[in-house]
Amino acid sequence: MAPSSSSGLTFKLHPLVMLNISDHFTRVKTQLNPPSSSCATGNIPAAVGATFPQNFRVYGCVIGAQRGRTVEIFNSFELVFDPTTDSLDRAFLEKKQELYQKVFPGFYILGWYSTGSEAHESDMHIHKALMDINESPVYVLLNPAINHAQKDLPVTVYESEFHVIDGIPQSIFVDASYTIETVEAERISVDHVAHLKPSDGGSAATQLAAHLTGIHSAIKMLNSRIRVLFQYLVAMQKGDIPCDDSLLRQGASLLRSLPAAHSEKFNDNFLMEYNDKLLMSYLAMITKCTSNMNEVVDKVKTAYAKKSRTGGSRIPFM
Amino acid sequence: MSSTENLITSIQGLSASSGDLSALHRILKGAEETLRADSDLQLSTLDQLDPSKHSLGYLYLLDVLTCGGPMSKEKASEVVLLIARFITSCDAEQIRLASDKFVSLCKGFKDRVLELEDPLRGVAPLLSAVRKVQVSTKRLTALHPDCLQLCLQAKCYKAGFSILSDDILEVDQPRDFYLYCYYGGMICIGQKKFQKALELLYNVVTAPMHSVNAIALEAYKKYVLVTLIHSGQFSVSLPKCASTAAQRHLKTWSIPYTEVGNCYNEGKISELQAVVVAHSSDFEKDNNLGLVKQAVSSLYKRNILRLTQKYLTLSLQDIANMVQLANAKEAEMHVLQMIQDGQIHALINQKDGMVRFLEDPEQYKTSEMIEVMDSVIQRTIGLSKNLIAMDESLSCDPLYLGKVGRERQRYDFGEDFDTVPQKFSM
Repeated sequence: MAPSSSSGLTFKLHPLVMLNISDHFTRVKTQLNPPSSSCATGNIPAAVGATFPQNFRVYGCVIGAQRGRTVEIFNSFELVFDPTTDSLDRAFLEKKQELYQKVFPGFYILGWYSTGSEAHESDMHIHKALMDINESPVYVLLNPAINHAQKDLPVTVYESEFHVIDGIPQSIFVDASYTIETVEAERISVDHVAHLKPSDGGSAATQLAAHLTGIHSAIKMLNSRIRVLFQYLVAMQKGDIPCDDSLLRQGASLLRSLPAAHSEKFNDNFLMEYNDKLLMSYLAMITKCTSNMNEVVDKVKTAYAKKSRTGGSRIPFM
Repeated sequence: MSSTENLITSIQGLSASSGDLSALHRILKGAEETLRADSDLQLSTLDQLDPSKHSLGYLYLLDVLTCGGPMSKEKASEVVLLIARFITSCDAEQIRLASDKFVSLCKGFKDRVLELEDPLRGVAPLLSAVRKVQVSTKRLTALHPDCLQLCLQAKCYKAGFSILSDDILEVDQPRDFYLYCYYGGMICIGQKKFQKALELLYNVVTAPMHSVNAIALEAYKKYVLVTLIHSGQFSVSLPKCASTAAQRHLKTWSIPYTEVGNCYNEGKISELQAVVVAHSSDFEKDNNLGLVKQAVSSLYKRNILRLTQKYLTLSLQDIANMVQLANAKEAEMHVLQMIQDGQIHALINQKDGMVRFLEDPEQYKTSEMIEVMDSVIQRTIGLSKNLIAMDESLSCDPLYLGKVGRERQRYDFGEDFDTVPQKFSM
């Protein structure tokens, strides 16, 4: 598979497509492998939870518009994969195509998508099948494996080209470069999705947590950078490193531009605000504690209270 | 003889790992009868064993040797020394396997120390014994009240106070709990930490009990006096969470104290002193006379405190008149003492003998305040965690679940309510 395509087409990918693909994948994954909490009753045999199907793929179609040399992929929809014929369900595809044509008249089927770590030979089969709808379909591949070290998006766009390999002309997948294109509405929704934490959906709590984590990481970074500068200056003072006057001048100007934060009034105000915040969290803690205590007392009363025949007895216990 | 020899060799052999220890424990339990019957067993046989490595075996032998009846003074002090050394050097893991024996051994130790009238010798060993028997710092053991009692007798309050700083969450025997709180309250009074004493005595007074017991009664008397000293007010009714038995009977047994309390509320020194003199024999019997005298002197403080709420400035002579002190000099001394203790904020102008009362100057702006708040918040978080754990354990309690199930069935309107079974078979 040659690394770059030579067709000269520029591809523009909308984030909606990526969100759709990842959502499709996550949905199917959770449906196939229900979360372990529901298996706690022990009725479901352990085998289901044990063999986590790692190597399933989802398939779908991407649609968009092509203007001149620019191919813009706007949207996508899911398709049914037929494992017997190893191809996509044609009737379903055509039905969906009709429906989408009615809603988005300008969009045509540009290609298909799937998930996985790399393109397989069998994908060419599907690719060829789509060639009668679009002479040169694109293949969008999303890698669902989460890699925290990776900075780029795990999305690759492939085109098919005829290359002569070992004397046999065959079509292979070639990597095509693409750019991300957003509309204002998409930007808002992507922003919203980016702030959602996977664990629980409570909006207020997660927003606060996200906000605080952001501030925390920012402060951490600031701290580490100041430390680097400080060590550098100390080394310069000790004479390990030759004095660099321009750097020293920059450092001095930076320090002078810091706000005057050492006055008595500032300390007073700062400490007072700090104490106020502490008092508020203390109050919140006490309220929470009191409500916990209330629950415990209710439970103890229910469990250990002597049942009175006359009713309306207020004697707690003993 | 030979069985003892066998026993000693097995102790020496099997004290290595936990599996061996449980086997050793079984052997020792079986051999206990033969040990007691063996009259040749002497203290010298203990020299063959090392208390820190062979703690379990040492414990059993020691128990057999020392649980006998009264012994002579020399033997008693020798035994006391032996036990003290054992307690300080024994291994906590091995001891916990036979904690009842250890507890009874320590109780015997305490009795002997009291017989010898030298309670100071027993304080340090018992302190370490408490720490070793405790499975966790939240659990009350039977040794806590004994240790506190020894500290009280020896008048070393600081040592006892170190035990009191743990928060107790689990109690095995209610009697231990009453005694612990009562002695703990007395130790705090000795240390003049009246707030903590009040908390502990309050725990005894409001603890659930079917019928009034002597400990609660004594604790109630001290509780009344300490409330007078600390907060300056007295209410005859007990808090609502006190048990019905306590509410009905405690007051009838402590009439002199309630009289003192009522008189205190009036605020007249002379009347209070008259009441105290009238019942002084009762107070003497309960050993509370010192506490009563402290309460009387605290009445002055309370009156001065009330003055700060009415007046901005007063002359020393006026203070003396209103509080019924002898002269201005005494008033000045009292006010000075209170300013030092932090109970009031005032400025004494010596030139014209005027006292100006001030507001609390604490602005809560300092970094020390931050530390105080931080520690308080951490404590509350810990408390919250404990409460949640208690809540969870209660939710799984079959008694609770049974009652809840019964309640739900009563409101079962439609078929879509799945009925909770009345009895849970675990």
